[in-house]
Amino acid sequence: MRRLSKIAAVVAVAALALVGCGRNDEPSTAPDASESTSTGDLCADSTGDGPKVGLAYDVGGRGDQSFNDSAFAGLEKAVGDLGATCVEGEATEGEAESAREGRLREMADAGLNPIIGVGFAYSTSVNVVAPEYPEVSFAVIDGFDPDAEANPNVAYLGFAEQEGSFLVGAAAALKSEADHIGFVGGVNIDLIKKFQAGFEAGAREINPDIVIDVQYIEETDLAGFADPAGGKEAATALFDKGADIVYHAAGASGSGVFEAATEADKWAIGVDSDQYLSAPADQQAHILTSMLKRVDVATFNMVKSVADGSPLVSYTTYNLAAEGVGYSTSGGYIDDIAADLDALAERIKSGEIEVPTVPAS
Amino acid sequence: MNPAVLVRKLGLALLAPLIAVVAAMIVTSGVLVVAGASIGDFWSVIFSAPSGRNWTNIVNQSSMIFLAALAASIGFRMNLFNIGIEGQYTLASYTAALVAGLALFPGKLNVLAALLIAMGVGGVWAGIAGILKVTRGVSEVISTIMLNAIAGGIVGYLISNYGEQFGQGRRTTPIPEGSSFDGWALFGDNSGEVWSLVLLAVLAGVGVSFLINRTRFGFDLRATGLNEDAAVASGVNVKKMVVVSMLLSGGIAGLIWMPALFNGADYYGPPFQRLLGFTGIAVALLGRNRPIGIFFGAVLFAWLSEQANPLSLIADISPSVVQITQGVVVLTVVIAYEVVRRWSASAEQRSLRNAEAST
Amino acid sequence: MSGNGIEVRGVTKRFPGVVANADVNITIRPATVHALIGENGAGKSTLMKILYGVQRPDEGTISIDGKPVSFSSPTDAIRAGIGMVFQHFMLADNLTVLENVVLGAERLYGIGDRAREEIERISDTYGFALEPDTLVEELGVGERQRVEILKVLYRGAQIIILDEPTAVLVPQEVDSLFANLRELRSSGHTLLFISHKLDEVLAIADDITVMRRGRTVGEADPATTTKRALAELMVGSELPSPQTEESTVTDTVLLSLVDVNLVDLRGRHLLRDINVSIHRGEILGIAGVEGNGQAELVESIMGMRKATGSITLAGQSLAEWGTRERREAGIGFIPEDRHRHGLLLDAPLWENRMLGHQTRAPSSRNGLIDQGATKADTERIVRDYDVRTPSVGTRARALSGGNQQKLIVGREMSGDPILLIASHPTRGVDVGAQAAIWDHIKRARREGLAVLLISADLDELIGLSDRIDVILRGELVGEFDPQDVTPQQLGTAMTGGRESA
Repeated sequence: MRRLSKIAAVVAVAALALVGCGRNDEPSTAPDASESTSTGDLCADSTGDGPKVGLAYDVGGRGDQSFNDSAFAGLEKAVGDLGATCVEGEATEGEAESAREGRLREMADAGLNPIIGVGFAYSTSVNVVAPEYPEVSFAVIDGFDPDAEANPNVAYLGFAEQEGSFLVGAAAALKSEADHIGFVGGVNIDLIKKFQAGFEAGAREINPDIVIDVQYIEETDLAGFADPAGGKEAATALFDKGADIVYHAAGASGSGVFEAATEADKWAIGVDSDQYLSAPADQQAHILTSMLKRVDVATFNMVKSVADGSPLVSYTTYNLAAEGVGYSTSGGYIDDIAADLDALAERIKSGEIEVPTVPAS
Repeated sequence: MNPAVLVRKLGLALLAPLIAVVAAMIVTSGVLVVAGASIGDFWSVIFSAPSGRNWTNIVNQSSMIFLAALAASIGFRMNLFNIGIEGQYTLASYTAALVAGLALFPGKLNVLAALLIAMGVGGVWAGIAGILKVTRGVSEVISTIMLNAIAGGIVGYLISNYGEQFGQGRRTTPIPEGSSFDGWALFGDNSGEVWSLVLLAVLAGVGVSFLINRTRFGFDLRATGLNEDAAVASGVNVKKMVVVSMLLSGGIAGLIWMPALFNGADYYGPPFQRLLGFTGIAVALLGRNRPIGIFFGAVLFAWLSEQANPLSLIADISPSVVQITQGVVVLTVVIAYEVVRRWSASAEQRSLRNAEAST
Repeated sequence: MSGNGIEVRGVTKRFPGVVANADVNITIRPATVHALIGENGAGKSTLMKILYGVQRPDEGTISIDGKPVSFSSPTDAIRAGIGMVFQHFMLADNLTVLENVVLGAERLYGIGDRAREEIERISDTYGFALEPDTLVEELGVGERQRVEILKVLYRGAQIIILDEPTAVLVPQEVDSLFANLRELRSSGHTLLFISHKLDEVLAIADDITVMRRGRTVGEADPATTTKRALAELMVGSELPSPQTEESTVTDTVLLSLVDVNLVDLRGRHLLRDINVSIHRGEILGIAGVEGNGQAELVESIMGMRKATGSITLAGQSLAEWGTRERREAGIGFIPEDRHRHGLLLDAPLWENRMLGHQTRAPSSRNGLIDQGATKADTERIVRDYDVRTPSVGTRARALSGGNQQKLIVGREMSGDPILLIASHPTRGVDVGAQAAIWDHIKRARREGLAVLLISADLDELIGLSDRIDVILRGELVGEFDPQDVTPQQLGTAMTGGRESA
């Protein structure tokens, strides 16, 4: 029966996926995370006469307390402020490229506009579908145009993650007592290397001699973004080697990093959204800060641009200057160094510091 | 065999899958109730008439699932659990895309070369597990799982170090235009194209079926699976068979993603479709390791996945529910076949008593 | 203790398509040895399973000590004082006697000193001579069987069912088993002894019940009945027996083994210095207690094990050849365990016809299976060897043991063999099939084949062989002329003369 164990696992996982939402028993101030079951009705209940938004999540979907949830927060704001209505879709693991395309087409056929793909994995499918619906505006968060032919109805919403990472790197260097910090990446791809590059540059800006260890959960398998056990293992290894602060850019695997920090009684730095807010109380005391990647801002801005009648197209980069990235202060653990960080932020905005996008070594 | 017996045999053969599918529907409906979703919505989406494009996707996906299940079935037929199909086709797909991208050969010759390389790489990767088993007694279950991880690591390392920049990711050099196929718009205009290399799955199915059922090699393979000791006593070199069938299984596994590659994917990179290897294992079970059964199983799985895609849009139900249906159908098929097998065994006993009584 | 009698009245058990027991009636008196005899398939096992609670009867009643009982599992049967000693021992080799006995019955006397005392008490009472701390793997067959009996006594059994307990024993061991059984009987235990060896039944039983085709067809008093009368009751007809014919032995050596040795991974000799040859037209019988190297000898000749020394077939060295080449060179093989080595139970008969012959006509041509020719040839075997089957498409599993064996014999006699290795060819087959198989082996000899016959049935060996070699601990320890050897003499040689008769 060993051959059935995989199937049994699939069944079990799927069953958990159905009932597993909202297992967060800690009262949280974050409206997006703990209420994900109840806000399942956000789109069903939205009756405004604003834009009809199609939001296509990447694997993990709403409830990942990270990337996808941040996009959802932007959607919520659009429903509230712009009277938008919405439909959500979600990628499943190992799905075909045609399934992604199908999701976008279903949305376009349903009259949705704009249609936003959350995650760079939507780049190729949007590139296929967008020309079929020239009157619909598409956006891909973290996306890019995979061919030479420009799409007049697609916005590629990128982020200067290296700049936000630079600031939390500096925070880590300022706070580290061991002068030894670490980085956990979900998957060893260029996107995540940007986080690593910024983090390292920020830390070295403060302390050129600081020791920085790096661990990736997966080489190319995107499962590295949904593997809390792998995240915990990687972070534990870094703490064992002497790091006292670990920054993660690993999506839903980050919860494992927080667990590791809590168990080791060390610090972790969150990513994408203010993860202090969505973490259980015992972990909150170990989340120093979070690098904010304002997917919500990008999502909201996209919807707003359509509502205003001038849809965004082509590349837009959300950097520090555009308040597309930043750091969080929840918990108050870095209030004492906020001035230093803000000074660094100003130097980045002014162009005095140019943050690299590729790790030095 | 008289017609009545034939009808009964056919009836028994169809009975098990029918029971299984009905049982799977009942269980899925139960899960939907527990999750508070609408049963009616769910099934009406699943059973809605597929559009032309849906049909195209079902056919295309079926071809890959079929190849994956076919690869698994070769191992299963001789009690080898090749869990490593995932790694075999990952590594083979990468290598074939890489080589095809180099355009060492002109036009369609390039495709042929890539197909051979894919089969070779898949075969070798599976063959490692076979050789470890016969020389060192390492269970192929363990070694193929390890080889999955290693294959992922190797491909990841190579692509992130030698792949070309592709947005936030990396990919292999796209294959030259002359080396890809156009496909056929079988289901109307604007409905996508059925991949030409779907034929590869058909060929592989016919070929494997012939090999297993009509050749001496196939007999040796089945005999080993049915009763290894008896096979040894009959002169089968089981060690050789283990290695050869792993090579074969891996070779077929190498082909899994080839239809996609040469019909539009053009390169190995982020859009690469993962997890087909594991789907294939489930479908092989579902199809009782027979090509015809696997064919229906692959279509069923492709149908469910394709139809489930708009679930969250139309009915606000997670498409993951379909994975439950898929999992349950495999379990119920195993159970239903056992039940039907007992029925037919007792029918056989009856006819045997008759035969003995009449002599 | 006089309350251990069993009354079976009108028990009927149907399986789909088969009536395994039909109106079975047996009265077993307390504190007696009651023998239940019948050929294979007569319904003995089914009755046994009903008595032991493995299966429930469709009709009829069972009462113990006059009280009706109904078992839904062996646990119920054990609680009612019934114990079962299976033909195939269920012992863990790497555990001690104590551990084997206590396993699953830890609640009775714990697992410590009390258990040890109880085991020693039982062993002493019935003369079992078992040490609680001996590892089971160090025990001989007879001793293992005593451990099995000790197990059921330990669990408080007053009624003990023994399923063909002598099948695995040499004559001397049978004698000591019988001594144990008499001890048990005199201490008030009731024994149900299942067998088809009539000598033994006559030697030990107080009462005899005969079964045929699922029914109890008669009872006999061992004091007055004869073997022949019992046998005729069993088969309902005249009894065949093996008998030698005029010698057909020639001078041509067909199979020759010189200094053959087989050593296992731990350096133990499974076969030691085997030197033997078989001529055309000769049947060489190998006598020995099971597990003394017979299987290893056969597998070495078949190429399934790599022995050292020289094995030649018709002058050709087999050293470089695998099993397939050896079979192609004309070795026919009737394996000891047909389910394990001889058949694909879930494949149709015609595919089983191919097994071991898959490289040759009519099975295949140019690497392709020739279904038509194979099926036709399977039809021939079914006809010529009287295999009772609805069709050649029937799965082998559906056939009775005798018919499976006839198919194997037919298959192995096909393809012009020059050497036939027959390992326990009539084990577990009914009397009718047994006679047919003996005829086929004798015919093989007439046709000039060399035959290597291995059997636990000494009558069979003596009846068929031209020459008998005795194997003990992997060595050939003596050669006998079947014309003037008795089973007792063979038994002595088989046990190394320890317990000389």
